[in-house]
Amino acid sequence: MARITCAALTKKYGDVVAVDALDLEIAHGEFMVLLGPSGCGKTTTLNMIAGLEEISAGRLSFDDAEVTWTPPHRREVAMVFQSYALYPNKTVRENIASPLPLRRQPAAAIDSAVAAAAAQLEITHLLDRRPNELSGGQRQRVALGRAIVRNPAVFLMDGPLSNLDATLRLSMRGLIKRLHQDLKSTFVYVTHDQAEAMTLADRIAVMRGGLIQQLDTPEGIYERPANLFVAGFLGSPPINLIEGVMAGGAFSRGGWRLALPNPPADGRSVTLGLRPEDVMVAAPGLARLDARVELVSPLGSETHLDVVAEGGLKLTLRVPKEWRAAVGDQIGFGIDPARLHLFDRASELRL
Amino acid sequence: MRLGYDERSAALLVAPVLGVLLVVAAFPIVYSFWVSLHDIVLTRPLRRPFVGFDNYLRIFDDARFWTAVSRTTVYTLVCVVATTLLAVLVALLLNEVFPGQRLLSALLLVPWATPSVVNGLMWKWIYDPTYGLLNGLLVQVGLLERYRVWLSDPDITLLLIANAAIWKQMPLAALLMIVTMKAIPEDLYRAARVDGANVWQRFVHVTLPALRPGLMLVLVYETMISIRHFDLFLIMTQGGPGDASLTLSWLIYVETFRSLRFGTGAAMSYILAITTFALSWAVIRFLGKRI
Ligand SMILES: Nc1ncnc2c1ncn2[C@@H]1O[C@H](COP(=O)(O)OP(=O)(O)O)[C@@H](O)[C@H]1O
Ligand SMILES: [Mg+2]
Repeated sequence: MARITCAALTKKYGDVVAVDALDLEIAHGEFMVLLGPSGCGKTTTLNMIAGLEEISAGRLSFDDAEVTWTPPHRREVAMVFQSYALYPNKTVRENIASPLPLRRQPAAAIDSAVAAAAAQLEITHLLDRRPNELSGGQRQRVALGRAIVRNPAVFLMDGPLSNLDATLRLSMRGLIKRLHQDLKSTFVYVTHDQAEAMTLADRIAVMRGGLIQQLDTPEGIYERPANLFVAGFLGSPPINLIEGVMAGGAFSRGGWRLALPNPPADGRSVTLGLRPEDVMVAAPGLARLDARVELVSPLGSETHLDVVAEGGLKLTLRVPKEWRAAVGDQIGFGIDPARLHLFDRASELRL
Repeated sequence: MRLGYDERSAALLVAPVLGVLLVVAAFPIVYSFWVSLHDIVLTRPLRRPFVGFDNYLRIFDDARFWTAVSRTTVYTLVCVVATTLLAVLVALLLNEVFPGQRLLSALLLVPWATPSVVNGLMWKWIYDPTYGLLNGLLVQVGLLERYRVWLSDPDITLLLIANAAIWKQMPLAALLMIVTMKAIPEDLYRAARVDGANVWQRFVHVTLPALRPGLMLVLVYETMISIRHFDLFLIMTQGGPGDASLTLSWLIYVETFRSLRFGTGAAMSYILAITTFALSWAVIRFLGKRI
């Protein structure tokens, strides 16, 4: 196990700043997910932690030892790649064992380590095959096996499930989570998939443009997004963002007014965030939103409604499957003002 | 089954090409075999008795033939091994990013684009005993005391010719290696580095396995062309000095067009062709699994 400390970690490629003075402390045995859109610097951060990418500025420490300049194999890390990165000419057994001979261990120890890892990942029957005879999910299990045998202090995973189909991704997600519970090592996991991040993480670091936008638990990130970007990045369907101004202690857009608890000063331009699931049947004590149904998308477990409210405001809402809404229906929705998110329009920060 | 309109017009369209192939490929193969079974000597054009495999037997009794076999073996081995090793080294170098790497990659193709006769003449000049670049360079650097007649030294003639051949055929092989190397996923190298593999282990475990198909192609191709090289020998040494560069192709040329013994010449050609075929097959069959 190891505690990882990134202090003002920076990576520059010429003029491009891929990672910009990143501060991050990852606790012993924590499952940290780096989440963000493509090109935000997740892989670069992970590669710096692995030692695969030279650090332009800043410090990296494992526990209390600085490892900024330590070569990868002396860092006690194991890495799993999106592309699996298995040796194509080696069997599964040889692939899993590949980190071990390099570390000069006796043959019997290697055999039992490989057998144990294979059993844990349920790939014992595949040990004599080669990677090109395996499915994507099986290949990624082999890659996980290669990481496990090293018994590393830190697991680094760069989008390990991104190349898999949806069903497989779901089961592999469970596998990785169990692995973390069993091994109790520190995990740093990179993904652009919010569902993966939410289900796996102890804490999520949402990144954009080489900067951490928010660092919090999955609930914290979802319930209290720090800015518009984080609010928009998490949630499916995405959060509804409604632009307006503060007037008389209420959010106001056209003729629609919505009284808020702890309202900011009047005249401020703000953006209101409404999660699609945060609507109810209109009731006393709730703010009211009248809208006409444009599109009904039943998903079985729930229903998505595309609606148009006063002033041409388009929203997407998630309602229980029992709601039998039809296109053209005029519906009065209830909104709990306490569940709304308010952002400053200029700074995009949460108010 | 009757041919439909489409099949018939297709056959019609292919027919001219088939005809040409028959004339320029199939006919010479068959005809040269027929020639190899007859005692045809052009100084006595009207007498051409059928002798069966006598020509072949006579060749195997000919000391010159075995000299040529040994010269050809040495020459081909040197060409193939050096070309392949150099191609991998050059590819490893040019696969790195450094200033001037693109220019060097472009320059690499110059020898390959040089016609083989021009290449032969160029190296003949370089080796020239009076004006040659090699003499000039070595004497000026102080490695050599006085000018040497390079190509007249029977111990190195074959190597000097091989050098000219390698210079010309290495670039294409290197290019093939570079293309293959570019296709190796970077993640494989990263994984190997995390596992603690050093540069040599990364080469052996990641690069080499990926190069295997390309290496196969280079080995087979270089074997097939080196074993039959002719132009360089015609231009540079004509088989000399003595029989120092008497290879099979040169012997075939001498037998056929200087001694005008077409029967034995054709038989030698057949032996060379079959050997080439067998060697390529052996390389694919046995080395294919090992590399
Ligand atoms: N080798 C490189 N050379 C130049 N720019 C790079 C290199 N690797 C990554 N970048 C740039 O750094 C930024 C972050 O890349 P990356 O860490 O791969 O993003 P992510 O993994 O989040 O998709 C991107 O803008 C990318 O273009
Ligand atoms: Mg990435």
